[in-house]
Amino acid sequence: MTFRCLTKPSRHRCSVLETAAPDFAWSNAADIVAAVGGGRASAVSIVEATFARIRKRDPVLNSFTAVTEQRALARAQAIDASRARGEPLPALAGVPFAVKNLFDVAGLPTLAGSKINRDAPPAAGDATLIGRLEKAGAVLVGALNMGEYAYDFTGENPHDGPARNPHDRSRMTGGSSSGSAAAVGGGLVPLALGSDTNGSIRVPSSLCGLFGLKPTYGRLSRAGTFPFCTSLDHVGPMARSTHDLALAYDAMQGYDAHDPVCVDRPIEPVTPLLQRGAEGLRIAVAGGYFKCRSAEAIAAVDRVAAALGANRDIEIPQAELARSAAYIITATEAASLHIDRLRSRAHDFDPMTRDRLIAATMLPASLVIKAQKFRRWYRTELLRLFAEVDAILAPATPCIAPALGQQTFQIGDVELPVRANLGLYTQPISFAGVPVVAVPVPLTPLPIGVQIIAAPWREDVALRIAHTLEVLGVAAAVRPQEN
Amino acid sequence: MTRKSNGRKPKTARRIKARPDAASTTKQDALASLVAAGAQALALPIDPAWQAGVRFYLHLLFMHAALVDDFPLPDETEPAPVFRA
Repeated sequence: MTFRCLTKPSRHRCSVLETAAPDFAWSNAADIVAAVGGGRASAVSIVEATFARIRKRDPVLNSFTAVTEQRALARAQAIDASRARGEPLPALAGVPFAVKNLFDVAGLPTLAGSKINRDAPPAAGDATLIGRLEKAGAVLVGALNMGEYAYDFTGENPHDGPARNPHDRSRMTGGSSSGSAAAVGGGLVPLALGSDTNGSIRVPSSLCGLFGLKPTYGRLSRAGTFPFCTSLDHVGPMARSTHDLALAYDAMQGYDAHDPVCVDRPIEPVTPLLQRGAEGLRIAVAGGYFKCRSAEAIAAVDRVAAALGANRDIEIPQAELARSAAYIITATEAASLHIDRLRSRAHDFDPMTRDRLIAATMLPASLVIKAQKFRRWYRTELLRLFAEVDAILAPATPCIAPALGQQTFQIGDVELPVRANLGLYTQPISFAGVPVVAVPVPLTPLPIGVQIIAAPWREDVALRIAHTLEVLGVAAAVRPQEN
Repeated sequence: MTRKSNGRKPKTARRIKARPDAASTTKQDALASLVAAGAQALALPIDPAWQAGVRFYLHLLFMHAALVDDFPLPDETEPAPVFRA
C-alpha cells in the first residue's frame, strides 16, 4: 500500500509503515548510535519512527521537500544485517539525516530552493558528503526546504512555502538552510547538512536554537552541491549537540578532487578532543561593529563570555567593509551563475532574488576585483588577531526569530530590513573563511545564537569551547513545546 | 532603512546613508540609464515592473562598493582567489 506522503501532491510516494519503535525524536545521534550498537533499537525501527514523525509533524514545519524512504529502509536493513553478523558498526550507524535540497541526491532533481531547477534531470549520484555520511552508517531520509538559490536569510520560499520555526510556528526559521533548522529543531532528524555562504548555517541555527558548524573554507567538499557564490560557499552540519556536530564533521572530512576549493589536508578528528574543554584557551569578545545593542544578543554573548571567563574585547578591523565586500562578491558571482536563467526564465525566480541578481549583472568588474583585494587584506588582519587569542565570540544574529513576513526589526534605535540584516554579524566572519560554531543560548521566549570563531583549520578549538558551554548548561538545544 | 530621529546610529547605517550624492536625482537618472544600457548590452529582458527593484539593488550595490573602493590598498595587493596551474 502506498500513499502520497507529507502535504504536497508533488512529493514522492512512500510506503505505509507501522511505528512501534521507541521515541528517539529528541535523541542525539550519539544516543542513537549507542542504541543501535547495543541492540536496544534496530536501525530499521529508528528510520521507521523518523518517517512517522515526518508524516506527523512536517505538514506544520514544512521542512522536507522530498523523502527517500525506500532508500533509507534499505540502508537501515543493511546496518541491522551487519550488526547481526557481528561486524563492528561505523561511527554514525543508524543515524537519520537529511540535506538542504542543494545537495545532489541520486534520483532527485537538485532544487536549490528554486522553481526553475524542478525541470532539471534527476541527479545521477549523491553529493560527496552524503556518501561520506552514509559510509559512516548514517541514513539519508530526504531533502530539505531552503531559500531560493541560497540567496536568503529568512527561510521564506515562494515556491515551497516557508519552513516554520519549531519554537513558534508563526516565526521565521532563518535561512537559507531553513528546512535543515526546522527538521533538526523540530525533532524530525538529529542531523542535517546545510550550506553557509554568508551565514546560512549560523543564522537558522541561531533562530531555531541549534548547534551549527561552518568549517574553514576549503575544509569540507562541496562536490555535488548546487553553487551560490563559489568564493564564499561552505557546507557543514547542524545538530542538537556539539558531540553530534563533531561526529558528523569527522565523518565528512577529507580531500576531494571534485571540489577545486577543497584543500588536501590530513583528516583531523575532533570528537576525541572535545573532553579537553576550554581550559587554557584565550577567548575574547568581538568589539566595535559586533557590539550589538539588542537585548537578546547582548544577554546571550554576556552569558557565554561570563561562563568562559572571557573578559577582554578585541576589535575585528574593518568588519563593516568586510560585510560590504561580501555583499558585492556574493551578488556578482551569483549573477554570473544565473545570467542565462535570468535571460530565459526571469519570471520563474523569486522576485526578491531576481531583482538583486539582475542588478548585480551591471556592477563594474573593477569594483568586484577591489572587493576581492580587500578580502586578502582583511584575512591577513584577522589572522593577526589569532596570535593574541584562540577564539572570538560574537552574536550570531542581531535578534531572535522575526515573525514570518516581518519586514523590519529594531536594533538599538535603528529600524533595519530583516532580509538583508539577519546576517549582519555572520557575513564579516565567513568572508575570512575562518571556522565558526554557532551555539544556542536558550533565552525566554526564544533562543538566539553566539558565534565561536577560531583560526583557520582550528575547528577543534571552536568545538571544544562549544562543548564546554554545553556541559556548563549555558548552550543547549531546547526541545520545543509542540513536541 | 528608516532611522529614528534621536540617538546614535550604528556605523553601517550611518556610513551608507551619509554619502551626500547617494539619493540625488542625477544619480537616480544615471542608475536608470545604466540599467537600461546594461539590459540591452547583456540581452537581459527586464519587465518594466521590475525596474524600480533593480535600480534599488544596484544603488545598494554601489553604496557597498563605494565603501570598499574608498579603502586604500597597496597596488601589489593580490585578489583573494589564487589560481594554481
